[in-house]
Amino acid sequence: MTDAKYHAPEQGSLAGRVFRPASLDELREAIELAFDYRGDVTVELKSGGQVTGYLFNRTATGEQPTIELFPATGSGTMTIPFSEVAAIAFTGEDTATGKSWEAWVAKKDSERQREVDRVEAEAKARGHL
Amino acid sequence: MAVPVSQMYTVTKYVLTQKLRGVKRYPLVLMLEPLFRCNLACAGCGKIQYPDHVLDKRLTPEQCWAAADECGAPIISIPGGEPLIHPEMPEIVRGLVARQKYVYLCTNAILLERKLDEYQASKFLTFSVHMDGLKDEHDLAVCRDGVYDVAVKAIKAALKRGHRVTTNTTLFDDANPERVRKFFDEMMALGVEGMMISPGYSYQKAPDQQHFLKRSRTTELFSKILSNRKRGWQFNQSPLFLEFLMGRREYQCTPWGNPTYNVFGWQRPCYLLQEGYASSFRELMEKTAWDSYGTGRNEKCADCMVHCGYEASAVEDTFGSLSGFAKTVKITLLPNAR
Ligand code: SF4
Ligand code: SF4
Repeated sequence: MTDAKYHAPEQGSLAGRVFRPASLDELREAIELAFDYRGDVTVELKSGGQVTGYLFNRTATGEQPTIELFPATGSGTMTIPFSEVAAIAFTGEDTATGKSWEAWVAKKDSERQREVDRVEAEAKARGHL
Repeated sequence: MAVPVSQMYTVTKYVLTQKLRGVKRYPLVLMLEPLFRCNLACAGCGKIQYPDHVLDKRLTPEQCWAAADECGAPIISIPGGEPLIHPEMPEIVRGLVARQKYVYLCTNAILLERKLDEYQASKFLTFSVHMDGLKDEHDLAVCRDGVYDVAVKAIKAALKRGHRVTTNTTLFDDANPERVRKFFDEMMALGVEGMMISPGYSYQKAPDQQHFLKRSRTTELFSKILSNRKRGWQFNQSPLFLEFLMGRREYQCTPWGNPTYNVFGWQRPCYLLQEGYASSFRELMEKTAWDSYGTGRNEKCADCMVHCGYEASAVEDTFGSLSGFAKTVKITLLPNAR
């Protein structure tokens, strides 16, 4: 259980946006947004490849600033230097959007019930109920 | 007495030892989050808002034990997600109890009754059941009908088997003081050892005026709830923290008192704010800009009066000054004294 109930007003989600920074400052900014984002991002690498995963940490200081991801497939973490990032796309569903307490209260009873049933069914399917 | 003497002795000895050693920042409670997956989906819950592949990650028992050893705090609180979902949770708890850590296993109690056989009653283990008020308030807070009744039944079953049980309540400023007082009566009548209460955290970028109002609304609410306290109410937390909630004492946040370890690493600076992760406890303690957090220091902290930031401040006050110690003794013996 948690004490952190998200009460902030709903804001536009970054889902679907792509950032192709032209400077280090822009890159830093895009990385901060990705760090706060509650969904997967796809990092396009200067070497040509790309990695999709959850960006959970960034170290912006030091000689070689890095980002850290949990790749969406496979286990373990992946560390990528800032210098290798060509673009960041917000490709995964934003799991925070529309989930504030206010948004819940504002829903119609029927919508709320549907959501409760869906969550319950998912938890049952996983054996968590 | 809400907490066993052995636990009080352990914590007192630990704090005094840190003080004698001249340690300025020491952890009191390790917040160990072995998974974020939950069997509820409370609206606004910041802990479960991750993609599925992250929710499926879990700390191994070895990682949990290593975190406990590295941190050294005498108390370990295990929130989540819902810890009882973790298949290796009984093993994790056994390992922590073997290390003589006082474990508070936080649960929404949906699975508690079914899982009780897997846990051995011990003075080192407490089930901390999340209850956000009487039936109507609680079921609304967790966004599912019937959860209150399930939790009450599980609390009774756990108590019957000799387990330590506490409740853990988060209140927002829309709480009704009279209903909260009634709720305390009900919980104590169930036979729980003590109750833990905290204001919720609602970070919102807002002008300072609003922050100020929010904090004063919090102290007003807790004053109404905690003034003229009933004799039978037992709180499982520092008496000075309750005074702080009532606006009778001022504290600055000591986030290092409740460090958090989860699947991402050591969370900076606290359980609530995610500003990045350190890969070791030492790195967390040495390389976090602690002075940037707390009331008046950081916009994100402006409204916060949450236990994970301020309970350790109250404990520090108890052991750091004669007046704090005298006040603690006085309120312990006479809860309504000023
Ligand atoms: S029970 Fe706790 S962790 Fe689970 S969804 Fe509710 S607030 Fe979040
Ligand atoms: S005041 Fe302390 S506990 Fe609250 S959010 Fe800030 S650092 Fe965290």
